[in-house]
Amino acid sequence: MSSFDYLVNGFGTALSWQGLLYCFIGCLWGTIVGVLPGLGPLAGMTLLLPLTFGLDPTTGIIMLTGIFYGSMYGGSTTSILVRIPGEAASVVTCIDGHEMARQGRAGPALMVAAVGSFIGGSVSILGLIFIAPPLAKLMIQIGPSVEVMLILFALVVISLVSAGSRIKTAAMISLGLLLGTVGMDKLTGFPRFTFGSLGISDGLSFAALAIGLFGVSEILTNLEKTDTIKAITPKFRDLIPRAKDLRESFPAIARGSVIGSIFGIIPGVSHIVSTFVSYAVEKKLSRHPEQFGKGAIAGVAGPETANNAVTGTAMIPLLALGIPSIPATAILLSALTIHGVQPGPLLLTENPQVFWGLIASMYIGNVILLILNLPLVSIFVNLLRIPYVYLVPIILVISVVGVYSVDFNAFDIWVMVISGFAGYFLRKFGYEMAPLLLALVLGDRLEENFRLSLTMSGGHYSTFVDNASLIVLGGSISLLLAVQGIAWAFGYRKTFADEAEGA
Amino acid sequence: MTKVNRGVILASAAALVFATGLGSTPSRAEFPEQPIEMTVMFGAGSAADVTARHLAEGIAKRLNVAVPVVNRTGAGGAAGLVHISQQKPNGYSIVWTSNQMSTTYYSGQLPLAYDNFAPVARVSVETPALAVKADAPWKDLKEMLEYAKANPEKVRIGNSGAGSHTHLSAAALFASVGAKTIDVPFQTGQATVNLLGGRIEGAVQLPAAFVSHVKSGDLRIIAVLGRERDPIFPDVPTAKEQGFDVQLDMWRGIAAPKDTPPEVVAKLQKAIEETVASPEFVEAGKTVGFRPAFLPAPDFGKLIASDDKKLGEVMSQLGMKKTQ
Repeated sequence: MSSFDYLVNGFGTALSWQGLLYCFIGCLWGTIVGVLPGLGPLAGMTLLLPLTFGLDPTTGIIMLTGIFYGSMYGGSTTSILVRIPGEAASVVTCIDGHEMARQGRAGPALMVAAVGSFIGGSVSILGLIFIAPPLAKLMIQIGPSVEVMLILFALVVISLVSAGSRIKTAAMISLGLLLGTVGMDKLTGFPRFTFGSLGISDGLSFAALAIGLFGVSEILTNLEKTDTIKAITPKFRDLIPRAKDLRESFPAIARGSVIGSIFGIIPGVSHIVSTFVSYAVEKKLSRHPEQFGKGAIAGVAGPETANNAVTGTAMIPLLALGIPSIPATAILLSALTIHGVQPGPLLLTENPQVFWGLIASMYIGNVILLILNLPLVSIFVNLLRIPYVYLVPIILVISVVGVYSVDFNAFDIWVMVISGFAGYFLRKFGYEMAPLLLALVLGDRLEENFRLSLTMSGGHYSTFVDNASLIVLGGSISLLLAVQGIAWAFGYRKTFADEAEGA
Repeated sequence: MTKVNRGVILASAAALVFATGLGSTPSRAEFPEQPIEMTVMFGAGSAADVTARHLAEGIAKRLNVAVPVVNRTGAGGAAGLVHISQQKPNGYSIVWTSNQMSTTYYSGQLPLAYDNFAPVARVSVETPALAVKADAPWKDLKEMLEYAKANPEKVRIGNSGAGSHTHLSAAALFASVGAKTIDVPFQTGQATVNLLGGRIEGAVQLPAAFVSHVKSGDLRIIAVLGRERDPIFPDVPTAKEQGFDVQLDMWRGIAAPKDTPPEVVAKLQKAIEETVASPEFVEAGKTVGFRPAFLPAPDFGKLIASDDKKLGEVMSQLGMKKTQ
């Protein structure tokens, strides 16, 4: 049988009543855990893992994968409505998404996020179908030294477009890097800055920090307002994106699909990083960069597409090599092994029905999610009708439960509360939260991979330039920095500053 | 009509309360009468976690109570053990643990030595395996060790983290002939990728990490570092068979807070013994990559103590022993 026959067979499996039912359950549950702050795909999949024991392997894995990509759809909802990232990969969406909601445009923001997610997810599945084996080979070539260069590249791209004061951004990045060093040193197991506490021995919880810095600080800021905050009552007309929104979103969605698909094969935290990179790229390419941070729809469309585009390609290392590249695929790995399916180079020959059934179901799942999410938009938007005095306690309770449920660690709740207050003051003085969170995530990976590279090379720095891909990456980084340097020397800096000031 | 219905409902509700609540009061000693929480030191979705969930299912079926699994993974699993040490010793809190009980203690992460816990039963054994690329120049363990000895700090061996069982067994093996290697601690799965990519010369992992790549012909297992051959790789001789006495099986089992009453331990032990012997659990072992290996509480306790001594020695040789 050719691959095409297998794919047709796969659709047969996925479209059976069992396939459809469990795909739907997975997508629905994924959307729910995505919407709830703190609870992410990891918790969602772990909770339903025992349920798959009684299913046949293909059906079980279809359901669990549905939770994974379903959560990427749901994550944007609370980011947009109440500025609480529902999921780590939706942190960036808070920035422009919530601004849009404050302008009464939560509807278009949610719709564009759903449509972008659908397109990103679908493009990524095509990647999985057509280029899985070569991509898997490429992935084997990505060692720690390549990852170091990739992270530096991402940091340079992102830093080129940071808003506001460069010094304040640099300060937040430094703070993020510092906070990232808290916890056990991954290479030696030595605890750093933990003060002997087991609660932070694994580092500060990203979910707790993100929810605190974005969500709790938002609530505190709103408490200042003496006049009652009017609940937003959207009209149906406001739910639909306008022609201008679509014009601005579609290029962002196209680019987000590519960025997410590429980042999906990089191990670690690609689902988070891809959203930051997409946001940076959109801002750089936009004709109106000054609108970013003030409700630019492209700032929602790009990142929300990118985090879904990761889901397809992140399956490649799992299925083709049997190696999970992000935490969510680790759960899928164990689900497969429980059922006696060994992912890896032989999966395509030994269990083709699992591989192709899964791919077909991911496509169908994305359609289900689109159908599921579009009507939900009006329901979610109407949640904003709840008066703020009642909404706040609900949000806080859900956040506390969510943050606690990630690791069953009560210390994380304190992290959330303290970072909420810190975020409140930082915002007062015009500091951005996003660079801090990015530095926290990337700094950790950067340090670990940098030290691993040097350990493996016996301390020789030449390990960072000893193959073609490294030289290309290093060259691109230098080029970007040089262009920036020249632009700065020729006074571009002044206009940029003016722009930032005027905006 | 409605009145009658309400009466019936009230009566049956009362009967239920009596049957479940009051009925069980006289036989208070009947363990268990509420869910047993199983703390797991390992990350959700890891092979060890999957094994724990199979075991929990088996215990739940045999004792007729729910056995929820909670992952407490902080500080190399130390967080889970500390949590257990703070629970009431009544059998309703148990922990799925491994040799890491000793290694986290000696590395300073766990403030409690192994004798702060009551052993319940050993459940399974996994054998660390040393893999190289299929086209590596060494035919057997002897050749590889000789090469490593002749070329100090040229052979890089991947493991799953500093102080992990795979690290210690690799270090013990190479140190036994006085060879100096570079030990590279990786996150989950990455040791295999880096071995495939040719960035390290060898890797020590539990068998599940290698099995598909051995089948596909990309990797080769040079030796298993356990007391006996691993059924996953029946043709691969142990290090001992090849003349190097390094036997560091990775065991996993159930422990409880210190002073858990013996009759409760006995009940748990019996449920575990039956689960481990069940065909489903044996089958799960084949797919997940562990060997069912039940040991009752007293023997398990002896094993923990002897392994603790051995691991403490290896760690002090490596300069990793922080606790005296």
